[in-house]
Amino acid sequence: MAYVATRGGERAIEQSQRLFKAEMGAITPERVAELRAALPYLIDRVMGEASLYDEDLAALALAQTGGEMYEAALLLRAWRTTQPRLQVAQPVTQDALFTHRRISAAFKDIPGGQVLGPTLDYSHRILATEVLTGDTHTPAPVEPAAKPSPARQPSVAAWQAENGLLDPAVPDQTLGNDIPDVTREPLLFPAKRAHTLQSLARAETGGALALGYAAQRGYGQAHPTVNELRLAEAEIVVEHPRGTRFSAGRVKISQAEVVDKKGAGLRLGFSATMGWNEVKVIAAATLDLNAPGAPKGAPTEEEFFLYHTEGVEASGFCIHFKLPHYVTFQSSLDAMRDAKAKAAAQQAQPAEADATEHPTTEPAQ
Amino acid sequence: MTLASLTRDWEPMAYGFLDASAKREIRRKTLKAISVPGCQMPYASREVPMARGWGTGGLQVSCTLINPTTRIKVIDQGADDSVNAASIRRFLARVSGAPTTTDTLEADLIQSRHRIPEERLREDQVLVLQVPNPEPLRPVQPNMSIARQMHADADYGRMWLQLYEQIVRAGRVMQGASYPSLVNGRFVMTPSPIPRWDVPKLHMAKHLTLLSAGREKRLHAVPPFTKVEPLVFDDVPYKVEEHAHLMCHRSGLKGFFMNEIPQADGTSIHEVSDSDLGVKAIHRTEGAPVEIGATWYENGEMGQ
Amino acid sequence: MTVQQMDAPRLITTRPLLIAQGVSKSYGSVKALQDVSATVYPGEVLGIVGESGSGKSTFLRSLNLEETPDSGSYTLDLPDVQGNLFDLDRFARRMLCATKIGIVYQNPHLGLLMKHSSSGNVAERLLVAGERRFAVLREKAREALDASEFPLSRMDAPPVELSGGMQQRVQLAKAIALEPALLLLDEPTTGLDVSVQALVLDTLKRLQQERKITMVIVSHDLGVIRTLADRVMVMKGGRVVEAGLADQVFQDPQHAYTQQLVHAKL
Repeated sequence: MAYVATRGGERAIEQSQRLFKAEMGAITPERVAELRAALPYLIDRVMGEASLYDEDLAALALAQTGGEMYEAALLLRAWRTTQPRLQVAQPVTQDALFTHRRISAAFKDIPGGQVLGPTLDYSHRILATEVLTGDTHTPAPVEPAAKPSPARQPSVAAWQAENGLLDPAVPDQTLGNDIPDVTREPLLFPAKRAHTLQSLARAETGGALALGYAAQRGYGQAHPTVNELRLAEAEIVVEHPRGTRFSAGRVKISQAEVVDKKGAGLRLGFSATMGWNEVKVIAAATLDLNAPGAPKGAPTEEEFFLYHTEGVEASGFCIHFKLPHYVTFQSSLDAMRDAKAKAAAQQAQPAEADATEHPTTEPAQ
Repeated sequence: MTLASLTRDWEPMAYGFLDASAKREIRRKTLKAISVPGCQMPYASREVPMARGWGTGGLQVSCTLINPTTRIKVIDQGADDSVNAASIRRFLARVSGAPTTTDTLEADLIQSRHRIPEERLREDQVLVLQVPNPEPLRPVQPNMSIARQMHADADYGRMWLQLYEQIVRAGRVMQGASYPSLVNGRFVMTPSPIPRWDVPKLHMAKHLTLLSAGREKRLHAVPPFTKVEPLVFDDVPYKVEEHAHLMCHRSGLKGFFMNEIPQADGTSIHEVSDSDLGVKAIHRTEGAPVEIGATWYENGEMGQ
Repeated sequence: MTVQQMDAPRLITTRPLLIAQGVSKSYGSVKALQDVSATVYPGEVLGIVGESGSGKSTFLRSLNLEETPDSGSYTLDLPDVQGNLFDLDRFARRMLCATKIGIVYQNPHLGLLMKHSSSGNVAERLLVAGERRFAVLREKAREALDASEFPLSRMDAPPVELSGGMQQRVQLAKAIALEPALLLLDEPTTGLDVSVQALVLDTLKRLQQERKITMVIVSHDLGVIRTLADRVMVMKGGRVVEAGLADQVFQDPQHAYTQQLVHAKL
């Protein structure tokens, strides 16, 4: 019998899971801790796509799935479903971010300064093959600057708004449970601003990159300049039932503002996500920048890119094609065979007196 | 008074997996869907421990409806032991403690992918169909926002045109499964990718059918005793698959929807797609006392 | 008498079918239409002439309810059609246009599904109106295509495989399939070869004579307007600069711009 047997399905799936797990061996607390320490950027990416900030759970998800990223994100999101939403944190403003890295391509220097921070941008991409022959690759120690850059900086957009280059953003006063939450209500179009930003924050990195890159290459209307890119830590400030506000800790976040300079003034596209993931926020901010006025069906149209950068949905649908489809297949085969038979029968018939009056397309009853 | 006496113990997940707020939303959307037959209701669709596209929509509805005494049956392509049906059944039982069955007659709740069982369903049974794509207008309008407006306007001209074009080009309507159908004279819905054979079973049925698409976050319903009419021209009758004359090589059953099994010699043999019906028929032949319920099709013809 | 108000033609004594009054529309600072009015009697052909940017196509699209003017009114004297049509909601507009108004665009892509069959394009009109008999759809599509002098042997060919003139004939068949109360033609022959243009115009003229279809035709080409129109409206910069019976306007143009147009053509 095929893989849909009248017996044995349960045993088969049980064993197939065992086979997958057997390849990876035991998952120990040490392995999870090592993954967390060794792969911070992978952990960040998974946390962002899962929209769940917990480095230990993310490391566990990676350990459990052997690094199958879509599975890891799904695992975390499914876990997230089981968790109550206890509190909504206070809004975080850009100038309050504890900033590690902050660059602007729009100006040589900016108030607060360009802060290069941790990056591989200017590294030479050469494999440290000596490690494979037994040596240890020990990174050279960081030499602290004589004058450390300030931990907090104003936003570039604030300066531009002050100078009349940019329409100042109108702050959204919605707070707490009134903020639309895309994990608890359906995404409908035109999308609420909060839903758009949340969806981009959860977007699959590769998907956001593919569509964002298409827009950057010329399939979008706007040509982005990176106005400001930040890798930072944001304070999670929550309110105790007594009314006291306190910090519940800090989370790593990335944010990008890209700017279009084609119009009378500057126009911003924005994206932020949990964890440090520069590619994703630049690509997503490009999509945000290009969305207004994009024609229906264009990759830069909001409905198009929000649906198609949803990694858990996209990957799930993609792999679902492995499921048996023989009922639908059988149904189509039936129609196809019947149409063929009809066509053959018509061919066999002698030609009608007047073909134009009786075209060969009337339905056979 | 202690904290422990005031609170419940921490549990890794709620009963039936989904938490109360998720279930409440699905209950509300289900009621709405029943109130406006065939109209797609958007819902949040939480992530569940199964991949999107693998029955997560059906699963969320089942998780919401289930209680410890609900007897559940899960089928995929008509088969109870399909690997994915087995996986869903195991999950539902694990998170609810509900008993499971393969017998259509015994089931309270049937979650299915791509088939409706051949035995008639009763008033006290609920059928949950997994839906990959809830939007019948997708082939003529991929943009969801425009499609929603078209439903609001009952703007179905393009749907009809699609049928016209198929007849002109191929001499017949080529739609296989997922045959678009008008519900209660108002909304065109997809009945999910069930074969054409199964669509008439929904028309004026005694049972409630809930159709849920987890990935696309839409839920629609066919309430009991509701008209479900496949879109057909008045002078080109609806045709189900020509399976009435086929015989199951294992059970000897005839007059039901069949799976075709290609043979090495170029021919095909068939087996009945409703696997439990086949199993029951075999048991009966062997002399076991099994009950086979009334079927929708009798001698290959849809009954009244 | 202002130029916007036109005399009732002497031979027709019935009530006007179409009355548009004071139609204005701006796009930002561009005034596309300024206080445009028109009256059309049943069975009559109104020709609107003007260069591109004169507002003539915007006015036509307004008559097809594709545009909502900033002000003005539009009525059609038809059973079950009441009030200012610009006030109709989206659904009512769609139903009115689907059943009562036919349109032929200059660009066939606007009016046709290029990859569907030609007969299907015509049948869609009938389907929207509720026809559910396949044989009747075939027959009516065939009749409309035949009346538009479209070769029936190609009735199931998709427009994408047809010549420009044939595509216009499919549009025309679609527009007349339901016997519309009003047929709108937006530069229907522009861009076609001169010989093809003449043939399409012949078809339009014949249809008009046989069926007495009320038409509004927009063209930058005076020759086209002269062939078909009973009355003429000359537009420039969003305004009507001259209006009157076709013969009058062509014989004795009053406005300097019209004189220029007529003389340029002659």
